[in-house]
Amino acid sequence: MEHWIYTTTIFGHTLSFNLDTIFTMWFAMICLIVFALIATRHLSIVPGKLQAFCEKIMEFFSEIMDTMMPVQNRQHIPLVASLFLFILFANLMGQLPLRIIHIKQGELASPTNDINLTAAMAIIVLIYYIGAGIMKKGPKFFLHEFSFIGIVMALVELLEMITRPLSLAIRLFANIFAGEILVSILLGASAYFLPLPIMLFEILVAFIQATVFMMLTVAYISSAAGEEH
Amino acid sequence: MENLNLAQLGAGLAIGFGATGAGLGIGIATKGLMDAISRQPEVAGKAMGFFLLGAALAEACALYAFVIAFMLLGK
Repeated sequence: MEHWIYTTTIFGHTLSFNLDTIFTMWFAMICLIVFALIATRHLSIVPGKLQAFCEKIMEFFSEIMDTMMPVQNRQHIPLVASLFLFILFANLMGQLPLRIIHIKQGELASPTNDINLTAAMAIIVLIYYIGAGIMKKGPKFFLHEFSFIGIVMALVELLEMITRPLSLAIRLFANIFAGEILVSILLGASAYFLPLPIMLFEILVAFIQATVFMMLTVAYISSAAGEEH
Repeated sequence: MENLNLAQLGAGLAIGFGATGAGLGIGIATKGLMDAISRQPEVAGKAMGFFLLGAALAEACALYAFVIAFMLLGK
């Protein structure tokens, strides 16, 4: 579970990179980009098999946005959809036999077992939903009515800006990490058939965690930029 | 057991209490799912999706405890 950490110094600042995470993250990104490029070539009115499949995926996102955020929702689909697809690809990569490629330190598993990656995605979501709220309501996004309840609500929202990305990051990281630890413990017990049901369960977890991350992102955006009730 | 490290004890307590809460939560969610399906069998598919989402959110609490336990073990 150790990472291959490469440390360097740029302008007097010490930076360390988790190289195995970077490799696997690029691999997931390349898979996703190549898939998108292949899927969007030769688009036609009468869709082929691949185009129909991709249209189903986009319909899935549209339906979720329609149920969670009824108005002005199409502009948020690019972020939400790419987060979902990237997390799904990254989680499923953990079940590929990439560990047989030996690197200097650590192992090639799913990139979401590194908290730096999930924290980066959670901070992107934080900045995006604050930005969406400011675009929608202007500086009034930060203001509440000047009363006791308004002040308490403002403090609670200030607290939420810390706890929301923290819980998003730790939830995804801990699910994938716990799955890998469980598989490695069962590998130690019996290497042949014992880890198989857990690995199948991890595929389910990959889908569920990608969905949870996406649903929470949509919920945060819709609470920031949606209509007041 | 002469060199019992207090951090290890804390790790065990953390994952134990965390798993208790998450287990209770998932149990209550399953009860709700069973109630809903037995009252209206036609909503089974839709209720299952919400159940998985809620179960994942409840399970996350146990995983926070797992992260804390792992940090304690790493000391």
